[in-house]
Amino acid sequence: MKVPAAFRNTKGIVGAVVVLTVLAVAILAPLLIPADWATRMDMRARLSAPTWAHPLGTDQLGRDLMFRVLLGAQTSIFIASAAVLMSIVIGLPLGLVSGYMGKTTDNVLMRLVDTLLSFPALLLALTISAVLGPNLQNTIIAIGIAFTPFLARIIRGEALRVAQMPYVEAARTAGNSDLRLITLHILPNIMPVVIVQATISLAFAILAEAGLSFLGLGTQPPDASWGLMIQASRDYLDRAPWTALVPGAAVALTVLGLNMFGDALRDALDPRTRGEA
Amino acid sequence: MVGDQTPLVSIDKLRVEFRGEDGPIVGVEDISFSIAPGETVCVVGESGSGKSVTSLSLMRLVEFGGGRITSGRLGFSLNGKQIDLAQADTQTMQAIRGDEIGMIFQEPMTSLNPVFTIERQMTDGLRVHRGLSRSAARARALELLQQVRIPEPEQRLKQYPHELSGGMRQRVVIAMAMACEPRLLIADEPTTALDVTIQAEILALIDRLKRETGMAVLFITHDMAVVAQMADRVVVMYRGNLVEEGPVERIFADPQEEYTRKLLAAVPRLGEMRGKSAPEPMRLVGETASNAPVTPIDVDPKPLLQVHNLTTRYPVKGGLFRRTIANVHAVEDVSFDIPRGQTLALVGESGCGKSSCGRSILRLSEPTSGEVLLDQTDILALSSRDLRRRAWRDMQMVFQDPFASLNPYMRLRDQVTEPIRNFGIHTGSAVEDRVSELFDRVELPRAFMSRFPHELSGGQRQRIAIARALAVNPKLIIADEAVSALDVSVQAQVLNLMMELQAELGISYLFISHDMAVVERIAHRVGVMYLGRLVEIGSRQQIFENPQHSYTKSLLSAVPVADPTKRNIHDDLNFRPIPSPVFPLGYKSKPSTYDEVAPAHLVLQNEVGLDAAPE
Amino acid sequence: MSYILNRVFSMMLTLFLISAITFAVTNILPGDVAMMIMGTQSNPEALAGLRETLGLNDPLLMQYGRWIGGMLTGDWGSSLVFKEPIAPLLLQKMTASGLLVLFSMTIALACAVPLGVWAAVHANRWQDTAASSTAMLGVSLPDFFWGIMLILLFARGLGWLPSSGFVDPADDLGAAIRHALLPSLALGLGLMAHLTRMTRATMTGILKQEFIRVARAKGLKESTVVWRYGLANAVGPVMTVAGLQVGYLFGSIIVIESLFNYTGMGWLTYQALLNRDIPLIQASVFVIAAVVMLANLLVDLLYAVVDPRIRLS
Repeated sequence: MKVPAAFRNTKGIVGAVVVLTVLAVAILAPLLIPADWATRMDMRARLSAPTWAHPLGTDQLGRDLMFRVLLGAQTSIFIASAAVLMSIVIGLPLGLVSGYMGKTTDNVLMRLVDTLLSFPALLLALTISAVLGPNLQNTIIAIGIAFTPFLARIIRGEALRVAQMPYVEAARTAGNSDLRLITLHILPNIMPVVIVQATISLAFAILAEAGLSFLGLGTQPPDASWGLMIQASRDYLDRAPWTALVPGAAVALTVLGLNMFGDALRDALDPRTRGEA
Repeated sequence: MVGDQTPLVSIDKLRVEFRGEDGPIVGVEDISFSIAPGETVCVVGESGSGKSVTSLSLMRLVEFGGGRITSGRLGFSLNGKQIDLAQADTQTMQAIRGDEIGMIFQEPMTSLNPVFTIERQMTDGLRVHRGLSRSAARARALELLQQVRIPEPEQRLKQYPHELSGGMRQRVVIAMAMACEPRLLIADEPTTALDVTIQAEILALIDRLKRETGMAVLFITHDMAVVAQMADRVVVMYRGNLVEEGPVERIFADPQEEYTRKLLAAVPRLGEMRGKSAPEPMRLVGETASNAPVTPIDVDPKPLLQVHNLTTRYPVKGGLFRRTIANVHAVEDVSFDIPRGQTLALVGESGCGKSSCGRSILRLSEPTSGEVLLDQTDILALSSRDLRRRAWRDMQMVFQDPFASLNPYMRLRDQVTEPIRNFGIHTGSAVEDRVSELFDRVELPRAFMSRFPHELSGGQRQRIAIARALAVNPKLIIADEAVSALDVSVQAQVLNLMMELQAELGISYLFISHDMAVVERIAHRVGVMYLGRLVEIGSRQQIFENPQHSYTKSLLSAVPVADPTKRNIHDDLNFRPIPSPVFPLGYKSKPSTYDEVAPAHLVLQNEVGLDAAPE
Repeated sequence: MSYILNRVFSMMLTLFLISAITFAVTNILPGDVAMMIMGTQSNPEALAGLRETLGLNDPLLMQYGRWIGGMLTGDWGSSLVFKEPIAPLLLQKMTASGLLVLFSMTIALACAVPLGVWAAVHANRWQDTAASSTAMLGVSLPDFFWGIMLILLFARGLGWLPSSGFVDPADDLGAAIRHALLPSLALGLGLMAHLTRMTRATMTGILKQEFIRVARAKGLKESTVVWRYGLANAVGPVMTVAGLQVGYLFGSIIVIESLFNYTGMGWLTYQALLNRDIPLIQASVFVIAAVVMLANLLVDLLYAVVDPRIRLS
C-alpha cells in the first residue's frame, strides 16, 4: 500500500535496481564462479592494468580483480546484513520497551544509550574488534554492537510518538493487554521507520566493514572482503591505482544504491505516517 | 455605496490546477465574483471546496504551493486602472502584497517567525513599502498595536512570538496586515483556531477596522454563523466550483441551489431549540431520518454516573534535576450526575478542563482525588486489571481526531472486533455477526469491513469509532469533541446518528464540546467549565435561556448566531486573558460552593480566575 | 539558567558513565599489562610479581577507582608502546586532531549551508536534483576513498601538497596547514555532502511553514524571505546536526590519519589498539568520548543563544 510509492520515483527505482543487482551478485557469484578463479595467482600478470584477459586488472599477487570483487560481495554483504540484523534484534525491543514504558525505565535506558552515543561508532567497533580479536564473526559483533545505540534511540523516539496516539489509548480501553498493545498496535506502526533505518544502517555497515578491514581490524585473509582488498592495495597506489579503485567503486556503488533506495522509502513513508492529510 | 462603483476586485472564470501524481488536479474552476470597495465578501465552503485556493490565487501565492493559474482573469483596481493580477510580474505583485492587499491566515501560533522580535516583523514590511527609517517604522508599529488594542504595546515590540497568547498573536498578525493601509484585507479562516470568546473579539476588530478605514474584506470560512455575522455578500463553493452567490440575507432566507440548502440545514443555530424540552435531530435535506424529538426514556431515579469532587492535577517539572515545581489544576472539585439514557454536555474553551474531566472518569489520566461511581461501582478504587475487565465494558470513549483514533495498520473489522473478543462478549461466529450488525447500525456498508482507515473519509472514520465504542454495549459513551473535526454536513449526520442510538439503546453520553450551538441540539443537561471548575450546571433550557454565571453569559454572547438579521458584533468586549491554571506546590484550593438558583440549576459562588497564582 | 545547570550536571553524570564503560570494555582484553611489559616469553614468577606490584590482582572496582583517582590528580599513567607519560602525549595529539576537525567542519559548513538552501529553494527542479545527487554520491563514498583520490590527485599527481606527516603549528604554521589540508579535505568532503542534505531537508521543512507565507504576503522580496526569515530558523537544527557529526568525525580520523600518517589522536588510538597498549587505549578512548560529549554540550548551549524559545523559558 505504501511501499509501491517508493518504486515510483526515479531515485527509488535506480536504488532498488542497484541493490538487487548487488544482492544477486552476492548470492549467485559464489555459486557460478569457481573459487579458484579469484585466488589463482598469475605472477607474470601481477599489477597489470585492465586488459581483455583481466577486464578489471590484477592485484599484487596476480589475482583477477573482477572475480575477486564479485566474490567479495558475498563477504561484505553478509557481514553488513548480519551486523544490522544483530543491532535490530537488540535495539528494537530495547527502544520499544523504553518508549512504551516511559518514565524511569526510559530515563535510565536512554541515559545509557546517550552515553554510548558519545563514542564514535567506528571507534567502538574498532575497540570491540581489537578486544575480541579480529575475524569475520567478531567484525559482525563489533559493528552490530556499535550500531545498536543509534537504532535504539530512533526506535524509542518512534515508539514514544506512537504510544501517545489516540488509537493506542482507544485500543487500551478496548481491553487490550500491554502485550497486545505493543505487538498489534505499536509495533506495526513503527515498522516503516525501522525498515528505513535498517536500509540506511546497511549502507553504513558496509562502509564500517570497509573501514575496519582497511585498518586490519576487520576481516582477515583468506576471507576476501572489499575492505580487505582496499587495504591490500595501499602499497601499490602509485603503480596500480585500479587495485584500490575497483573494490572502492564496488563499495561506493552498493552504498549509493542503498542510500538512494532508503531515501525513496523514507519519502514514501514519511508524509503518510504523519497523519494522512 | 456598494454596487455603484467600479469593483475593487473582479475575478473572472478563474481556473487553478495543481501538479498531481497522475496528472493535473483542478483546484478551482470557472470562479467568477467581484468585491466592491468597502464590502465584506465571505467565501464559504467545506474542506476541499477550493475557497483558500481562490484567495491565494488573488495574491499569486498559490504558485508557491505548486499551483498554476491556467486561465481566467483577476481584475484589480490599482491607482484608477484595472490590471490583471494573473498576468502581473513578480515586482508588481511584491509591490501590491502588503501594501494594496493584506492577508491574514488561520494559525496564529505559526504565522509569526519564532526567532524574530515582534518589532522586526512588524516593521520590515513598512520599511520596504514606505521607505521608513527604523524609528519611524517603530512609531508606526506602536500605533498599529494600539489600533488593534493590544495591552502594553511597547513591551510587545521587544517580545518574541512564543511569549504571546494565540489571541494576541492574531492581533499582531492583523496589525501587520494593516500596516500599509491596504484597500483589501484577505482573511483566510482567521478565527478557526481560536476560542469562541477570542473569536468574537477578533471578528469585532476586523469589523471595526473595516469601518474605520473603508477597506474591503474577503473573508474565507467554513462557519456559516461567522458568515451571517460578517458578510455583506456570500459566495458558496463546493469541490472547486462556485455554487451560489448573493447578498447575505437572501442566501440565508432563500437559498436557491440544493447544496446551499443542504449546507444551511446542517448548521445548528444557537437559539432555535428555544422552548424545546428534549434534544432533537437536525432536519437535513435529502434525508428521511425522523426528526421527531428524542423520546425521553423512563428515567431510572438512580443516576448512571455520579461524579463527586473530582480533582485532577498534573505535575509541572522543571528547574534543577527536573523536580516537580508546580501543578496544573486541570480539574478542580467537579461534581455532576448523568441519568440513564440522557446526555450531559460539558462546554468551555481550551484549557478549561473538560477533556481532562472525561479522561479522568475513564482513568486514562489518573485523578488526584474524588469519587466516580458508575452504577454504584467505585471506578477510582478498581485495580488496573478490573479497570480493564469491568469498567471499560460499561464506559467507552470516542476521540476527537478521526484520523488518529484508528490504527492505520489494522483492518476496520479487526478494530471493531477487538473489544468484543477482549471482553468475551461473544465467541465464535456470533462475533462476526455482531460486527456486521454494528456496521449496519452506524450506516456503513459491510464492504468496508475489510478496508483500512486511510480509505475512508473523516465522517466515515468517526462512525467506525462509534461502532467500536458500541461493540461492548456500554452504558456510557464519552464523546470528547467527537464531531469538532468534521465538516458541517457530516457533523450533522453523525450527531443525528448519536441521538438515534441514544433513543434506541438508552446510552448516556458525556458530550464534551466547545461548540454551543451543537450542544444546544444534543444535550439534556449542560455544564459550563472554566479554569478547571464547573461554574454552572443545569438543564439545557436553564443554561441557554437563563444563564446566571458571568462566564456563561459572556460565553453565550460571544457565540456567533447563524442568522444575518441578528447581528451581535460589538467591539466593547473586555480583553480578558484566561489566567493560568498553574499553581504552586502545596496551594490549598477552596472547595467549590454552589448556589441553587432553580431546581437542579447550580451556579458557582467561588471567584474563579481571581485566585490564580502569581506568575 | 537552570537549563545550563541541568546540562552541566547531566554532563558530569555522562562523563562518569563514559569512564565506566571505557574501563569495562578494555578490561575484557585477554592478556594484561604485565605481559605486555615483560613480553610473552617471560618467567611466570616475575610475571606474577609484576602483576602484584601493578595491582592487577585487586578487584575490578578498586582498579577502576585507582584509575579514576589517577586521572583526577593528573597521573594518566605511561604508554607501553611509546614509553612516555600519557597526558602530554594526549595533549599534543589532540591538538593535531583538533586542527583537522576544525578545518574540515569549517570547510564543510561554509559550502554545505548555501548549497543546501539553494537546493531547497529550487526543490524538485534541476538545481535540486543536481545538488542532491552530488550530495548523495558524496555520502556514499567511504572517507578513505576520498583520501586515496586526493592523494592520487594532489600529492602524487600534481605534487601540490604533501601526502603524509604532521607538523606542529607552533613550529611552522604554513607547513602545518599544508600537511593538514589534504586530510581535512578528505574528512570534509563526506561531511559536506551530509550537511548539504540535512540543510536542504531542514530548509524545505521551514519553507512550508505559515510564517514564510505571511512574510511573502507582506510583499517582501523572495530572497529576503528565504535568506533572512528562513535561514534564521535553520541555524539551530543545522548546528545540532553538525554537532552530532563531530562524533562521527572523531571516528573517521582513525582511518584518515592512518592513511595520511598524520600523527593525531586517531593515529594514536589506532597504534594503541593494534599493540594492545591498555593504559593508552583507556585514556584515548575516554578522551575522545569526553570531547565528543563536550562538543554536543556546547551545541546545546549555543542553541539557547540562537533560539529565543529556549533562551526565554
